[in-house]
Amino acid sequence: MLHIDNISIDLGEFRLDEASLDVAPGEYLVILGPTGAGKTILLETIGGLYTPRSGSISINGRQITNRPPKERNICMVYQDFMLFPHLTVEENIVFGLRSRKTDEEDAKKKGREMARLLAIDHLLHRYPDTLSGGEQQRTAIARALVMEPNLLLLDEPLSALDAQTRESLVKELKRIQKITKVTVLHVTHNFEEVFALADRVAVMNRGRIVQVGPPDEVFRKPNSEFIAHFTGTKNIFRGVCSMDSGASTIRVGTISIASRTCREEGEVYATIRPEDILVSRTPITSSARNSLFGTITGIANNGMFVKLTVDAGVPIVSVLTRQGFEEMDLDIGDEVYLTFKAAAVHVF
Amino acid sequence: MRRSWFYYATIAASVILTVFLVLVLSLIVLRPSADALLASLASSEMQFAVGLSLATASVSTLLCMLIGIPAAYALARYSFPGNRIINAGLDLPLALPPLVAGLGLLLLFGTTSLGNWLADVGLVFVFTPLGIIVAQFFVNFPYMIRIMRSTFSMINPRYEYVAKTLGCSDAGAVWRVTLPMSRTGILSASTITWAKGIGEFGAVLLLAGAIKWKTETLPIALFLNMSTGRLDMAISAALLLILISVCALYIFERYGGSARF
Repeated sequence: MLHIDNISIDLGEFRLDEASLDVAPGEYLVILGPTGAGKTILLETIGGLYTPRSGSISINGRQITNRPPKERNICMVYQDFMLFPHLTVEENIVFGLRSRKTDEEDAKKKGREMARLLAIDHLLHRYPDTLSGGEQQRTAIARALVMEPNLLLLDEPLSALDAQTRESLVKELKRIQKITKVTVLHVTHNFEEVFALADRVAVMNRGRIVQVGPPDEVFRKPNSEFIAHFTGTKNIFRGVCSMDSGASTIRVGTISIASRTCREEGEVYATIRPEDILVSRTPITSSARNSLFGTITGIANNGMFVKLTVDAGVPIVSVLTRQGFEEMDLDIGDEVYLTFKAAAVHVF
Repeated sequence: MRRSWFYYATIAASVILTVFLVLVLSLIVLRPSADALLASLASSEMQFAVGLSLATASVSTLLCMLIGIPAAYALARYSFPGNRIINAGLDLPLALPPLVAGLGLLLLFGTTSLGNWLADVGLVFVFTPLGIIVAQFFVNFPYMIRIMRSTFSMINPRYEYVAKTLGCSDAGAVWRVTLPMSRTGILSASTITWAKGIGEFGAVLLLAGAIKWKTETLPIALFLNMSTGRLDMAISAALLLILISVCALYIFERYGGSARF
């Protein structure tokens, strides 16, 4: 659908260096990368705000590399909303339809429908500066979606919002994409958004796209040290969650992990922070619901802390203090118990 | 708490300045008798001066907007070769004495072939009301440019980016988004430019002359009547100028908001 072939551009501080990417119709692709990786400039180049020095961009087989933004029908939503402050919510939403010279009645009708879809139809006559962050971002999304864009570009759309609003907007984005089937490119540096939304994830660094794939694959089989280091998250599991009389269990390969919630039954991702896992030579009796048994396959010492990799059916990483590690006198091949609370299992 | 002498000295300076200002202005207001003042204000000469001042200042302000706003936009948004030189150059008339500007304009329109050609096609600037407009324009466009440049650079260009992805051309995005967002800047820039135009004397004197009933704006009327000893007429011109300045200052402070120059 979207085909980006080796585009390069240099804007001094930010640049793209032969970036290539293919996006399938209806796909939700999340672009992840550190600050200054060129994520925003990639979106802005796709949107037509910059012309690349070399390379080409095509959409649905049509070359758009040198076409102005208005001929692309690719819409953009920024982190800080960029709602036009002199226009009401309704006027903001129909702004693009008016540039298309859509019939005024028709535009208003479409605008109201889109506002209803985003649950902001009670705010149509308000001005942006009277809205909460979440409401502003819903308005910005409605303003883009009402154009029925070929491609929706989201530049850290949730970063300016508080955690609660962010969570509800994540669900909303998922729901709306299901309904509208719009193709989305979503830039973020938040891993949770990746797992909650992405069909695939593309990792960017220094103006290049360094890996593209399904989230679990990119996180578990990083193809470079940069990605392994950047993604950083250890203990990511993909499994099937089921609820039974209030307790939820995630089956990951041959093991079962108890968690506090499932979020939704079926396929889920779960993470456990290495420092939440207690390592012992004998089983521990405690209120913690998870106790796994395994063999130490790796020990990495980084001064203050020691990182253990334990094969308990799936590889699990735990962290000990240096002192604790020395007192227990552990070595590769030793058998240990891993204990952690259901609450330490983060499901998304 | 004991205050230092410095505290009292600085406050005293501000008080002395205010007293000085009030004294000067109140002399103008209180000097003539009310009857004589009303008669001068009602005189047809004064009415001509008011009309000419309002008309020329409005036209020159409009010209400043038409040319100054696009120029300010380019200076705020685009980096192009010569940007810095042009930026500095366009501020120059601020430091230039208006008399010098007027002399330059007189030489341009009165002695060059460009001036002769313009006169041949009917655009006579020397000693005409047209000259008043050009003189006001030349001296005052830097105010327009400075205020609009800072107004535009305070608006995030991403508003325009969004407008363009929503179907606007470059110009369309500016027209529908940036200009409406700049309206307080535009208002204060035009108010300042207009008020400066009303009060412009030096450049107008040299290019348009001080011709009674022809190029007699309020400041020129003040000057002409003063030199012929008609104090009441001079003072009523001054009063009107004060009134206009106060109104302009009020509009600027009240609605100009964040505009700076």
